[in-house]
Amino acid sequence: MRKYLYIFKSKVMSNLQYVFDLAGGMIGYFLHIFVFVYLYRYLYMGEKDIINGYSLNQMIWYVIITELIWCILGGRKLCYKISKDVKDGNISYNINKPYSYIGYVFFEHLGDIFIKGIIFTIFGMIIGFLFIGSFPNHSILSIIVVIISCILAMFISILLIMIIGLFAFYIEDSNPFYWLYSKVILVLGTLLPIEYFPTVVQGILKYLPSYVVAYGPAKLFVSFSVNNTIKILVAQVIYLFISYLLCVLIYKKGVKKLNVNGG
Amino acid sequence: MSNIIEIKKISKIFKIKEKEKGLIGSLKSIIKPKYKIKKAVNNLSLTVEKGEIIAFIGPNGAGKSTTIKMLTGILCPTKGEAVVAGINPAKQRKKLAYKIGTVFGQKEQLWTHLTPYDNFKFFGAIYDLKNYEIEKRIKELNDTLELEEFINTPVRNLSLGQRIRCEIAASLIHKPEILFLDEPTIGLDPVVKENIRVLIKRMNKEFGTTIFLTSHDVGDIEKLCKRVVIINDGKVVLDDSMENLKYHYLNNKIIEVKMKEKVNLSDEDGITILKDKGYNLKLSIDVAKKSVADVIKLLNTDKIIDINISNEPLENIISNIYKGNKK
Repeated sequence: MRKYLYIFKSKVMSNLQYVFDLAGGMIGYFLHIFVFVYLYRYLYMGEKDIINGYSLNQMIWYVIITELIWCILGGRKLCYKISKDVKDGNISYNINKPYSYIGYVFFEHLGDIFIKGIIFTIFGMIIGFLFIGSFPNHSILSIIVVIISCILAMFISILLIMIIGLFAFYIEDSNPFYWLYSKVILVLGTLLPIEYFPTVVQGILKYLPSYVVAYGPAKLFVSFSVNNTIKILVAQVIYLFISYLLCVLIYKKGVKKLNVNGG
Repeated sequence: MSNIIEIKKISKIFKIKEKEKGLIGSLKSIIKPKYKIKKAVNNLSLTVEKGEIIAFIGPNGAGKSTTIKMLTGILCPTKGEAVVAGINPAKQRKKLAYKIGTVFGQKEQLWTHLTPYDNFKFFGAIYDLKNYEIEKRIKELNDTLELEEFINTPVRNLSLGQRIRCEIAASLIHKPEILFLDEPTIGLDPVVKENIRVLIKRMNKEFGTTIFLTSHDVGDIEKLCKRVVIINDGKVVLDDSMENLKYHYLNNKIIEVKMKEKVNLSDEDGITILKDKGYNLKLSIDVAKKSVADVIKLLNTDKIIDINISNEPLENIISNIYKGNKK
């Protein structure tokens, strides 16, 4: 494990050189939130204070959290890196090192987003407070649960995107799959909570990755309950386990196909 | 001495997709893909002793890299078996990783935003070394490879020569028994090349590291290696000591002469005219067929202004072996 922590640490150190590059991402994040704040304010202009179980403030906090997770994640970069590693045969230089490629990429990416994560989270909380003027009610314990759930959402997202990147072993371009994945997460969990969808659809949505990587942690942040905590954390642990297994399986099968010529 | 690498009749066969010309060909290859079988390495056997510096050379596409990749566990041989430091690379890749180091001149392994020192700490941790062991090793490598001057400068700000020195140091952090060097001096200027060669030699002497070198640079081979293995079309075509290689293949002498008068010489058995500019001649002599003295007699010694007799450059010898094998 020490070596993976070192990979994480080295990436954090190496990334400290780029702290100022985060400014662009922060502006983009702010604009997203800004648009949704006005969109939801418009939506809540009628008589109802609560729509599908959410107040206006809850909806704004919801989108702040889901967008936060999505922006910190940097999924496109991760997917591109892995499929490039596979296509260029770069992956072969990682094979004869005493670590697992999956572990290496996972911890490297965590190191990549660590500083960004902290800065964006503080920024997100400030934006939320400026727009709304208050935070949702939380105890220390419940906020710890939310943080754990957010971290699990990150871990699962990284593994799922790694799986998509590793498709490059079998197909020429894994980008369309990433596009599809990002749209599913965006529409079915990031912009709107699943309670906004028809009941029949909600049953399906609970099994989709958007439930564990976007909806879950945001739901816990805006309306914390023990019942939801159990449901969401259990779903996240199951997803984490399965996505890890799938990732390892696809990698092991893919590496056998590896043909590295020349060079 | 014991063998550290034993290759027993390994082969590697690649299946390469083939496509006919044009759009129709592309469509056809979707419906009914055709494959070509390519034997990159063909029944290759080789042993390397502990502490040797061996040059493993051959023209592009000869199967050098494929062989190295099989020896380092990146590729599995289709047939045959290799044993490297007592380990079968195809079966125990991770275990082997602790015993070998690799440097690919064309591929960066270092993290460019970190300093060499941080990189060494990182690689040390990857190979499960304790902190004090890493520090001790960095000091050793620092002394041998002379890194002091730039050990705290981010790698991206280093010159290519400094970077290669760091690459070599990073690959030695875990005291590997064998170091695979794939074109370590590519793109370097002659002075830096010479430096790197001296360092490689010193490393071999001080740490007893076995060195398996591939390079297209004849200087690397000539100055570093006592033994040369040439492969072509996936087979060993020559496995000999550097001395023997030079001695046996040194039948050819190059004679350059400047004459007072024009001489009329034509190609004959044992003499090949390389350049003929009337007063200036460049000849290649096969001494097995014609002695140097005979050739000079032919030229008429009284009329010679200047003469230079030299050995055939090693580069030519090697390219002749490559070509000879193609025939």
